[in-house]
Amino acid sequence: MCGIIGVVSNKESNRLAELVVSCLNRLEYRGYDSVGVAALSSANLEVRKAKGTVEEVVRKKNIKELSGYAFLGHTRWATHGAPTDYNAHPHTDCSNNIAVIHNGTIRNFKELRDELQSLGHKFKSETDTEVIPHMMEEYMKRGMDTFQAFRSAVKSIQGSFAILAVVKGERRIFFAKRDNPLVIGLGDDKTFVASDIPSFLPYTRKVIVISDGELGYVTPNSVYIEDENDNPIDVTSRIKIIDWDASSASKEGYPHFMLKEIHESPIAVKDTISGLLSEIDKVSEIAEEIRESSRIIITAAGTSYHAGFYLSLLLSRKGYMSIPLIASEYHNFRAKKGDIVIAISQSGETLDVKMGIRKFKEEGAKIIALTNVIESDIARESDYKLYMRAGPEIGVAATKTFTSEIASLLFLYSLIEKESISYLESAHETVRNVITETEGFAKKIGEELANKNNAYYLGRGLGVPLAMEGALKIKEIAYIHAEAYPAGESKHGPIALVENGFPIVFINDGELVDELEKNLQEMKARGGKTYSISVNKRLNFADTEILVNTDEKLSSLAIAPIIQLIAYYASVKRGYDPDKPRNLAKTVTVE
Amino acid sequence: MKAIVLAGGKGEGLLPYTEKVQKEAITVLGKAIINYTIDGLKKAGIKEFEIIVNEKGNQIEEEVEKLDVSFETIVQKRQGIDGAVLDGMEKIDDDVFVLAFGDIIAPAEFYKSLMDTYIMTGRQAVIPLVPVSEGTETYGLVKIIDNKLKVVKESSTLALGGAYILPKPKDNFTSLLDYIDLLASEAKLNYFIWSENWVDIGYPEDLLFALETLLRRKESVISDKAEISKNAIIGKGVIVEDNAIIEDYAIIKGPAYIGKNAYVGSFSLVRDYSSIEEGAKIGAYCEIAHSLIEPFAEVGSKSYLTYSIVGKGAKIGASVITASYPAQSLSRPRFNKLGALISPEKVIKHGSIIEAGMKI
Repeated sequence: MCGIIGVVSNKESNRLAELVVSCLNRLEYRGYDSVGVAALSSANLEVRKAKGTVEEVVRKKNIKELSGYAFLGHTRWATHGAPTDYNAHPHTDCSNNIAVIHNGTIRNFKELRDELQSLGHKFKSETDTEVIPHMMEEYMKRGMDTFQAFRSAVKSIQGSFAILAVVKGERRIFFAKRDNPLVIGLGDDKTFVASDIPSFLPYTRKVIVISDGELGYVTPNSVYIEDENDNPIDVTSRIKIIDWDASSASKEGYPHFMLKEIHESPIAVKDTISGLLSEIDKVSEIAEEIRESSRIIITAAGTSYHAGFYLSLLLSRKGYMSIPLIASEYHNFRAKKGDIVIAISQSGETLDVKMGIRKFKEEGAKIIALTNVIESDIARESDYKLYMRAGPEIGVAATKTFTSEIASLLFLYSLIEKESISYLESAHETVRNVITETEGFAKKIGEELANKNNAYYLGRGLGVPLAMEGALKIKEIAYIHAEAYPAGESKHGPIALVENGFPIVFINDGELVDELEKNLQEMKARGGKTYSISVNKRLNFADTEILVNTDEKLSSLAIAPIIQLIAYYASVKRGYDPDKPRNLAKTVTVE
Repeated sequence: MKAIVLAGGKGEGLLPYTEKVQKEAITVLGKAIINYTIDGLKKAGIKEFEIIVNEKGNQIEEEVEKLDVSFETIVQKRQGIDGAVLDGMEKIDDDVFVLAFGDIIAPAEFYKSLMDTYIMTGRQAVIPLVPVSEGTETYGLVKIIDNKLKVVKESSTLALGGAYILPKPKDNFTSLLDYIDLLASEAKLNYFIWSENWVDIGYPEDLLFALETLLRRKESVISDKAEISKNAIIGKGVIVEDNAIIEDYAIIKGPAYIGKNAYVGSFSLVRDYSSIEEGAKIGAYCEIAHSLIEPFAEVGSKSYLTYSIVGKGAKIGASVITASYPAQSLSRPRFNKLGALISPEKVIKHGSIIEAGMKI
């Protein structure tokens, strides 16, 4: 996911650069590992871009001093090709006459790139996007006018895209869209094209939405759109005046980012698995290192710790010496040569994790990083890097990144165990089915828990880390005090608190069902209100049960969205904003 | 963009109540059900409405006229929902239209989200999905397969949200659901999940749930034109409209709604999630809880009504009791209770005891 903005004006000035920077600031949520701007003036086409946040890149590259009548701006979230200065957008052709920014994935870019290279085009980046300016250049060389060249280039592309392009000497911005959002904003003396309305909302509320398959261009005072069969479209009937605020627009209808992101979990898992498959040799090498290590230390914080704990249990069951370690407690552990440390951090910047891996590295351990941010601090400081591809997560409480962590760790575990990973091909469908089949029930349970001040989450075996995650989630966003225990441990203390109506959520992953059922009855005997989230095997006697059926190896992926939805609905019912839990930060960079 | 609003159904789940009153014309907190839909769409930017009605269309017209909107009613010619949509589409010239059901009570943000999604995603069709847990078989359900919607009958807890943005088909369709499936299969459709308040009014329990939903977070608003005895007690979350009269020692515990010109007699208790609509009269020493008393209905003194709906202009004698448990045959059992459904203008004899779930 990336953010794109284009603006074309009647006047040439560096005030347009400031305007583009303000648009980029509002687009930063869509991607934030690198930033770039192209400024087109009567004299020049200049591109400035670098890795970093909008603020850093604008400062470092003096973007506000650029002058021109047309600007393109881009914020990138790297998925293929590291976040580097040269991979940042915009991309240009060989003669620097054409600049292009792009959101999406071009499936046939390798073939196109090979063909263009054989024709003598020189590529400067590893991105798929760069084929577009070179194709336009090639078509123009063959005599096409600029728009024909743009149209032909777009038609050569397979995949998804929102594209903007400028060509030296022309006061217009070309655009094309397929499966990625793109909207036009009509200002008084300037026209915007962007991946979302909030980016230009302070400047105009008059918009035209571009539909899939359409392409065209904007000038300071006009818009030309044609459909996929090259028929011009009457744009006047498409103009809409919008009256909503920026935040509601970017949620695309969902009341909260958290809910939107839970619903993005299937895609996040799918992209994560396909990303790992695309680098299976590297992952296999990492699996081999783990297999041969003397001890496996899995260090992480919060939600990531629970994902790590899950892997640790899987490995322990197979006889590996695996130690789950809460990242901030790194002082309590001494690593040695032969140890492998798996460091998990959604952001790749979690300070506790970073401090731990530095210490363990000094003590002789090898470090494997698993993060959602390519080339993040933790990835860079590690010997091996694994990436989830969950996309940016705006909700502070981790949801789709937890599911993606679990998917990544299952992938790794299967390679360690030299077992088939084919079961993961359907993992995203499992997540999707579970959400569809259970969301209404999760809402009901969440709304019931909203009326309580305390709860237990109990599980056995592999259910324990998931119970811990369920309790954490409801604490984080609904502010309900919840504790997680191995269910067998519950009678050694926690049960003392159980009285009439005390809620207990049982996480039943289909293993150890009889034992869990006994614990449930113990709780019921004391008046506890029992809920169960069960995979494949029913947990009898629960007051309310959600039961899903799936491949037992995917039980954790089936349970994860349910506990997240329960917490979400509890939070909403209590009247809180689940996207901004109090006292919590998305990335914890202090000890 | 124009909206087609469907208000021509038979209201089978609310029979016999709906024999006389069109479901969408039932009022909840001083507003007809259809006006929640139209108001929401108006706030989302829709200016013109084609309302599909049946022979009780005048009731709908009377209600919608209270809103400042441009609308026309079309008497349904073809059968069923599909027929109603086809009848409405004849009046649509635009490429895209809103199709909304007039029996949904949801806040205006629901319709705003629908429009936002349409504008943001650029897809030709947008459908909100709503999580449901009770009576799932009573809703139109969908599954999401490969990021596309598929309309199903079971194995889902996501229901079609009852307000859609759809492109006008080139040719008439035979089934709206098939048309939705087709749009999804062609990747022209976008969906989002609506997790906030939303009630599809199909059964008596839905009306009671709507009352609870609407009153749950309401602030107290007391009209200075209401006549409230100094000896009456008004609790939290109580709305009292103009010219309502609340007599000595009456207690409006709340959350509750007392409509325009409504009357609550001495020593009566109107408690949680109850609504006494415009001009309705509650005699002395009554207790009303979780009940909807429609406009101009009268409840005799010493009556006890819980989880009940009393139709417009109905007359309930003195000392009438509605039992509400054990609940009988609830289609969407959100509470385990249901009292009586008393049709408009019915007369209930003094001293009657009405069994739980009775429909009169």
